[in-house]
Amino acid sequence: MLDISHLTKTYGDKKAVDDLSLHIAPGEIYGFIGHNGAGKTTTLRAVAGILAFDQGEITVGGVSVKQDPIACKRQIAYIPDNPDLYEYMTGQKYLYFVADVFGVGMQERQQRIQKYAQLLGLENDLSQPIATYSHGMKQKLAVISAWLHKPRLILMDEPFVGLDPKASHLLKEMMHEACEQGCAIFFSTHVLEVAEKLCDKVAIIKEGRLIRSGTMEQVRGDDSLEEVFLELEDATC
Amino acid sequence: MLKILLKKQLTEIFRGFFFDQKKRKARSKEATIALLIGYMVLMLGMMGGMFTMMSLSICEPLVAMQMDWLYFTIAGTIALVLGVFGSVFNTYAGLYLGKDNDLLLSMPIPVRYILAARLLGVYLMGLLFSAVVMIPAGIVYMVTAPLSFGTVYGPILLLLLISLLVLVLSCVLGWGVARVSIKLKNKSYITVITALVFIALYYVVYFNAIKLIENLIANAQAIGGSIQAYAYPLYFLARTGTGEWLPALVSTAVVCLLGALTYLLLSRSFFKIAAMAGVVSKIKYKEKAAHIRTQATALLCREFKRFTSSPNYMLNCGLGVLMLPILAVVLLINGGTLVQALDNTFGGVPSATITAVCCAGICMAVATVDTAAPSVSLEGKHIWIVQSMPIEPWLVLRAKLLVQILLTAPMALFVSVCAAAVFRPALPELILLLLLPQICAGTLGLFDLFIGLRRANLNWTNELYPIKQSFGVFMALFGGWGYAALLGGGAVLLAAYIPPLLYMILFAAVSLLLDLLMIRWLRTRGCTAFAAL
Repeated sequence: MLDISHLTKTYGDKKAVDDLSLHIAPGEIYGFIGHNGAGKTTTLRAVAGILAFDQGEITVGGVSVKQDPIACKRQIAYIPDNPDLYEYMTGQKYLYFVADVFGVGMQERQQRIQKYAQLLGLENDLSQPIATYSHGMKQKLAVISAWLHKPRLILMDEPFVGLDPKASHLLKEMMHEACEQGCAIFFSTHVLEVAEKLCDKVAIIKEGRLIRSGTMEQVRGDDSLEEVFLELEDATC
Repeated sequence: MLKILLKKQLTEIFRGFFFDQKKRKARSKEATIALLIGYMVLMLGMMGGMFTMMSLSICEPLVAMQMDWLYFTIAGTIALVLGVFGSVFNTYAGLYLGKDNDLLLSMPIPVRYILAARLLGVYLMGLLFSAVVMIPAGIVYMVTAPLSFGTVYGPILLLLLISLLVLVLSCVLGWGVARVSIKLKNKSYITVITALVFIALYYVVYFNAIKLIENLIANAQAIGGSIQAYAYPLYFLARTGTGEWLPALVSTAVVCLLGALTYLLLSRSFFKIAAMAGVVSKIKYKEKAAHIRTQATALLCREFKRFTSSPNYMLNCGLGVLMLPILAVVLLINGGTLVQALDNTFGGVPSATITAVCCAGICMAVATVDTAAPSVSLEGKHIWIVQSMPIEPWLVLRAKLLVQILLTAPMALFVSVCAAAVFRPALPELILLLLLPQICAGTLGLFDLFIGLRRANLNWTNELYPIKQSFGVFMALFGGWGYAALLGGGAVLLAAYIPPLLYMILFAAVSLLLDLLMIRWLRTRGCTAFAAL
């Protein structure tokens, strides 16, 4: 579903991402972990088509992000680490705007909005302006908007930050359900326990370079993901 | 503790002088001094200059009539109204909606200290507006009246008392405004309408000022008598300005008492209101009937929603939408007089010149609408949404352009039709009168978008920066006026070399060529630039 090949992105003299390659198959939940400033957000933004990169290639469903960004974006949903949404719109207007852009039919959009808003407990807040939403509510709205057009690849940057335990649990269920339907999910997180329980595969990045990736069993072996992560961090220092 | 809070408050208020928001770095000392001088020149030179003229025209006759107190009643009332109007709409936000509410309230700081620091901000705002009237009034009085200790300390004391009164009234009215606005729907429109009413009132007073002053001086005794009879506190307070010690003493005591009472009342309710600030009544969710929109329509609606949701955006970039129909009505009502005046000015000049001047006037009004100029910057932190969606950048840019054209072109056409009804031009000129302002609306829209994209700045913390203070908006407005001046001025000045009709045709052709070039740039390099923001 997603192929990242030799991705390199530099900011001035600093290499934010350095020769990174990853492959994510349909139905996989792929965790992306690393310390602050390791290059996770840069990678996710490059895949989402909102950040130009210097070298390498990214394809989504076989379509190059560089060659045909619009076709790629039709298959993608992206949730940034801090979902700044249009504060001058109500929740419902925002979701309808997203549905219009992705060409989601009326019946489908109404069904999905109702389903996910009810699930995440946001149904009664959809008429409120987004300006009045808390961080968690904005995050929930961003999640609903991401699920609205049934994307084939969901990219999420720290999706659990700001969500209450119930909403976190529900998001995990939504992720599993989406993957069962063939969607691939690529998300970054600092919560290693979540990554350990949720992900089929995981990649560890440090200073822009991929230092380990594979199935959860391959990466952690007999240790916990936290132990492996800390060990790798120390070893490469 | 209080000192630290006051220092923090002052830093916040004057931050703009010391910190460059766009470059996100501290200004140099030279830049800070230049900015401060510029600000002082603007406030005292432009606004203060206006009130100096007013003071000069009324001070001498009133002093000669020994009605010095009436002079200070007038100056004091204007200062009070200006001070309250200038600060009342910001009072509630200034007092209760501080972004550091949670931080300060969680610290071991007495609430009365936090309130005192916030009140300082409101006070300074009121003082600034009152001083613009009272400083020129005081100086003129000191120069005009026989110099004594009273004529020097009186105006200074009156300024301080009025600024304190402004604070008290702003707090009371600001609280009322906040209570009403919570219950209002369509706040943006109401804010815009209120502001427009005040602007209209200002201009009515401004244009009738001379007549008002003449009436005032002619009827000074009668007006003075009425004030003494029906507004005694005002009369008593105004006598402070003349240096009378008893009114000064009593007024100071009363105003200080009012100030203390306000502070006491506010400090009792501050915590409760500040903690509740931002909490809004919940709107019950109802599934509304909606239509499926195309990407282009959805983006256009988004742009219109952005425009109508911000009073700042509407007032600063869309005022021309109202000016154009006003221009049309003025043309219809005073058309005859205007035709006569133009005939007197351009007597013997071909009527095509008048058509060109008329088109230039419409273009000038069209140029006051510049919604496209800050629209790219206004994407701000939200830009990731359109960038991560499957939308061609050109569609986003086109929506921004269309908003401006839809706001201006129909209105410009209306003005053209009214102008045609008044001037009754020949057919070729009529065609140009209808067509040129439409071309102008398109060219200015494209130019504003071009400038907005070239000067895009997504790193702002207050939307006023891209809307009001950006170089792009400045260029859009003055560039548009320059373009209009080129049309009207060129037709008049070059009439001896190029027939005005031909000049207009050439102007239209060059404008269309420019349009094509700008569209080409926007669709290619502009789209790349937008995607890379």
